[in-house]
Amino acid sequence: MVLDAGMIAIGAGIAVGLCGIGAGMGEQAIGAAAVGAMAEDEKFFGKGLLMTVIPESIAIFGLVVALILLFVFNA
Amino acid sequence: MGTSHTVKYAYIVARVRAMKGKLIPKDMFPKFINMEIPEITRFIGESEYKKDVDELGKKYKGTDLFEHALNQNLALTYRKLMEVSQDEANYLITEYLRYWDIWNIKTIIRGKFSGASEEEILEDVVSAGQLRYRDLTEFIKIQTVEGVIAALAKTPYYPALVGYKGVLADIENSLDKLYYSGLVEAGIASKDKYFSKFLRTEIDLKNLKTLFRMKRAGLEREEIQKLLIPGGMELKASDLSRLSSLPFPEFVRALEEFSYWEAIRDISNDMNSLTNIETRLDKYGILYACRISYYYPLSILPVLDYIVSKKIEVDNLRMIVRGKETKLSEDTIKSHLVM
Repeated sequence: MVLDAGMIAIGAGIAVGLCGIGAGMGEQAIGAAAVGAMAEDEKFFGKGLLMTVIPESIAIFGLVVALILLFVFNA
Repeated sequence: MGTSHTVKYAYIVARVRAMKGKLIPKDMFPKFINMEIPEITRFIGESEYKKDVDELGKKYKGTDLFEHALNQNLALTYRKLMEVSQDEANYLITEYLRYWDIWNIKTIIRGKFSGASEEEILEDVVSAGQLRYRDLTEFIKIQTVEGVIAALAKTPYYPALVGYKGVLADIENSLDKLYYSGLVEAGIASKDKYFSKFLRTEIDLKNLKTLFRMKRAGLEREEIQKLLIPGGMELKASDLSRLSSLPFPEFVRALEEFSYWEAIRDISNDMNSLTNIETRLDKYGILYACRISYYYPLSILPVLDYIVSKKIEVDNLRMIVRGKETKLSEDTIKSHLVM
């Protein structure tokens, strides 16, 4: 039982961790592009910010998977 | 394409895309033709050239102000590209912008050769390459062509100048060849296939312009061959050799087998005006740069597209103002514009 709980916790950690790395890699290029466009024209701030946070959805998917693991499978 | 490569290009590409968005829209140029010079200067003074016009307004007036403001803006814009880019992009931009070093050296030497004043030479200098403005002003102060060449001894351009024997065309041709061979090497060193593709097309267009000019002037094959630059995309050495040996009508017909024919197809029945041909080839070049920059968005191509577009903008503005100053007809000015 303790082993199962441990495995679920590791699975949840991997889900959040890998999704976070993936989101970071996506945001890296988009963030650089947003900063480049904003450096020329401040009007791109809104669009740049919006585009930069789009890969954050991947991190949220990871978090949801982790929560399902922890609260549904652990119950 | 690695992540860091993508990130570096993402930054510079987004930046040049934003800069390209600030260029004067194409539909403004026909309107400029209908304006008077003070109106155009006022319009330019309220655009991206404002800082340059304000800064130089105390020193110059009228078309001189216009000319200097355009040149300064072009130089500062290109310098900015060198400053905000990194690694491979910076290397390729720097190498590509050596064009302006070649331009400046040619301008100074031509000026000295023809006895132009220092002010007249300075008007055409664009310090967008590796040679700084203060170096160029020092070169301009030298009285003779030989003196200018000696002063350039520590620059990478000296090998092309050292054989000067009183014929300007020879060293100008050597400078062009030196520039393009350097660029081809830069493309090979960086392993950037997109840069090489763009460059080789540019070499083809340059060779085509040379061929048209030399054919019109009635030069012999051997003389034309000396002026052509190797390394083109479609026009290989064998094609260049064949084209340079053909009489003008056959030469024009032989171009049908190359994609560049599309650029000049509509004027194939009237090849009398070299200006028309060169304007169309320039237009092909700018459209090609724009098109391939969208095919490969995270590469050096959008930056090169911007560099070409900015130069065309400045050339068009200069053409309109100089044309109006010399009272050229609207149709003549329009035929010289690349839009």
